[in-house]
Amino acid sequence: MVLYDSATLGGSCSGSSSSSSSSKPPPLQQRQQKQQDIDGFLAGAGYRVRSSELRKVAQRLERLETAMVNSPADLSQLASDTIHYNPSDLASWVDSLLSELTQPPTCPSEFIMDPVSNQTVVSDAWTTAEPHMPQVHQNISYEQQSLNNQLTVVPAMEEDSGIRLVHMLMTCAECVQRGDFSLATSCLEDMQGLLTRVNTVCGIGKVAGHFIDALSRRIFQGIGGGSVNGGSAYENELLYHHFYEACPYLKFAHFTANQAILEAFDGHDCVHVVDFNLMHGLQWPALIQALALRPGGPPLLRLTGIGPPSPDGRDSLREIGLRLAELARSVNVRFAFRGVAASRLEDVKPWMLQVNPKESVAVNSIMQLHRLLGSDPNRNSPIETVLSWIRSLNPKIMTVVEQEANHNQPGFLDRFTEALHYYSTMFDSLEACTVQPNKALAEIYIQREIANVVSCEGSARVERHEPLSKWRTRLSGAGFRPLHLGSNAYKQASMLLTLFSAEGYSVEENDGCLTLGWHSRPLIAASAWQAVSDGTADFPA
Amino acid sequence: MARSNEVNLNECKMVVPLNTWVLISNFKLAYNLLRRPDGTFNRHLAEFLDRKVPANANPVDGVFSFDVLIDRGTSLLSRIYRPTTAEEPQPNIAELEKPVTAAVVPVIIFFHGGSFTHSSANSAIYDTLCRRLVSLCKAVVVSVNYRRAPENRYPCAYDDGWTALKWVNSRPWLQSQKDSKVHIYLAGDSSGGNIAHHVALRAIESGIDILGSILLNPMFGGQERTESEKRLDGKYFVTLRDRDWYWRAYLPEGEDRDHPACNPFGPNGRSLEGIKFPKSLVVVAGLDLIQDWQLAYVEGLKKAGQEVKLLYMEQATIGFYLLPNNHHFHTVMDEISKFVSSDC
Repeated sequence: MVLYDSATLGGSCSGSSSSSSSSKPPPLQQRQQKQQDIDGFLAGAGYRVRSSELRKVAQRLERLETAMVNSPADLSQLASDTIHYNPSDLASWVDSLLSELTQPPTCPSEFIMDPVSNQTVVSDAWTTAEPHMPQVHQNISYEQQSLNNQLTVVPAMEEDSGIRLVHMLMTCAECVQRGDFSLATSCLEDMQGLLTRVNTVCGIGKVAGHFIDALSRRIFQGIGGGSVNGGSAYENELLYHHFYEACPYLKFAHFTANQAILEAFDGHDCVHVVDFNLMHGLQWPALIQALALRPGGPPLLRLTGIGPPSPDGRDSLREIGLRLAELARSVNVRFAFRGVAASRLEDVKPWMLQVNPKESVAVNSIMQLHRLLGSDPNRNSPIETVLSWIRSLNPKIMTVVEQEANHNQPGFLDRFTEALHYYSTMFDSLEACTVQPNKALAEIYIQREIANVVSCEGSARVERHEPLSKWRTRLSGAGFRPLHLGSNAYKQASMLLTLFSAEGYSVEENDGCLTLGWHSRPLIAASAWQAVSDGTADFPA
Repeated sequence: MARSNEVNLNECKMVVPLNTWVLISNFKLAYNLLRRPDGTFNRHLAEFLDRKVPANANPVDGVFSFDVLIDRGTSLLSRIYRPTTAEEPQPNIAELEKPVTAAVVPVIIFFHGGSFTHSSANSAIYDTLCRRLVSLCKAVVVSVNYRRAPENRYPCAYDDGWTALKWVNSRPWLQSQKDSKVHIYLAGDSSGGNIAHHVALRAIESGIDILGSILLNPMFGGQERTESEKRLDGKYFVTLRDRDWYWRAYLPEGEDRDHPACNPFGPNGRSLEGIKFPKSLVVVAGLDLIQDWQLAYVEGLKKAGQEVKLLYMEQATIGFYLLPNNHHFHTVMDEISKFVSSDC
């Protein structure tokens, strides 16, 4: 099956460069580069260096080389022990190495999964010498990654029917966008027919089937869509759990966020984690154990878990809380849990979280923020409201994991095309998982997302994924600045992948954030943020 | 006589523009951190530090790209770069593999450099280079993401190159209209140049037609220490020690540098006399310490009666073709363009 990256190809103009000279970035990026006097050639190689600083960077490189030559240390060991951040910012990377070479190596806390017991253990590294936290370089990201840049990866076409299916899906979506429902309906019929001749167990046939269903739903039920996410909270949690088991995306999210939270909490004795979507609390045992093993002892940990209210009188949030408390007790971590039941994140008010001013707060959002992007012209945008109260909590860190996709474009065809690529890549990656019923239920989990993206509108459409570049702008504009995820987090994530998953997954560093993808197409992006302390919003450079 | 680790910073700063010096020095120092004395490689850190770019199906300066999985078993990806045409300035998503329309379209199979160990097809520097090749030669470029050492030794890189060649040769949509054949060129820099040579050899043996081979600073070597190696060791970003490390990482364990992969015309090599080897364009940088091996390669081809053009760029260092800020770059690009278009 061949599927190519959409990058808004299907319809509207997407701002491709109109310049005539060699390989220049899209116009907006160019302007920004010019304004900041960034060397264009080095930018093409992926490095941000101001032309006016070239000489200084060169001198630093010279000093670094001399330091390396004269260093008695085993350089490769030093390199392993050091945490590197944001290599695109060449000047600061060189500086950080220079300072490493002139002081003892750092001993960062590290998460590792013990392959035998399947539990996270904290590495020995920091039980040796006096640990001190590595420098965190707070670099504001200048560039705005073009929204058009998306990865395209696909296996070579296996049969013509696959190509035809793709063509027909696009045609159908185009009809829907134009409002030509009778033509769209006949397209649907043709596609159903074609499906019978295509292998629907895997590949294009499988994902095409879900898209055909979603299109049918849209055409015949209208965009209220019926209740796509109509499953009960229990069902949703079940599907989520199987998605967690079947592929590494959620494990990566939890792992990366926990690593960042652990580092942010270093040296703090009263810490409070606010989880925007508790589910079964799968993320937290690892953090509790890591805190237990912290040198100097664990802090007092409070966890506030937000989740939908339970319909049947059960307090499922509390049940999860009790289990986590039990675990915490067994490892001697003082722990308190609070559940906040809310059907929508925007219904949560900061006072419900009962944050104590003396606590260090971590806000953890795994695939929740995009749900706040639905626009209702009559109200304040929910995302702004929520980001604003998060900021008012002055969290030490806010960890954000989101799908790396552009599923919130206004044009239906654009969204459809993008989703077709994104979800076929994701389904492709699922093929690597053979364990049932994880795989089958994980597919249903993903299928529900597809249905929401394709067949819903307005407030019913909650799967409004936006790419990292957009989140960067949004969060910077709301008064947050990035905390960069470094090479230690990268390495742990890569190791996690080798332990748990098939070949084909890849972790990439992207300007201080980490992405996990399949065959070089990023599918999920993890980032960390901190409120800018001066009380005013940080405008993007 | 310069010792390997004597650093002669001033000399190399004189011959390259400052931004080139910064770029290549950065690579040099980063790579020093990644190679371990025991022959293992810090792959995680390498991938973290490597600046990568995604494929972009939206044309930028008339070139668009997309990634294709050529072989599932080895996760062999390639990035395909295509020029837009006047009739089709904006490619359709379902038609990225639309047949080429011109009478003759050169298809350049490109192997990126990195001494068999570093970089990927989606490394920023190589993405940029491949895009330039498309515009320059009005070609389709297929950049192969071959498996790297030390995790994957000889002959993995050659096997992957061969797989890619077969794939390219069998794509109907890459056939030139004139003769319904795919017009294939092989190209590569550093280790990629070495791979291009060996893939060409396999092609000849299997009857696939290669129209030409472009070798940019190809990576060759041998047991002996040549004059250029001794003279230039450590002077222009590269040391003998690091060259040795990469060969030890790529060649089968226990083999020395006279292995034919490294030294194709050496004591264990074979003569190409009587073989219909494709014409070659070999670019040698005058400040590259392995130039004696590269020149020996050219001699080897000539002695076997093969067509080869040598471009000796006296004041050029390694990596000169990465940034278009020097005249060597433009000279070489012109020659490449002529080399590829001479079959039209």
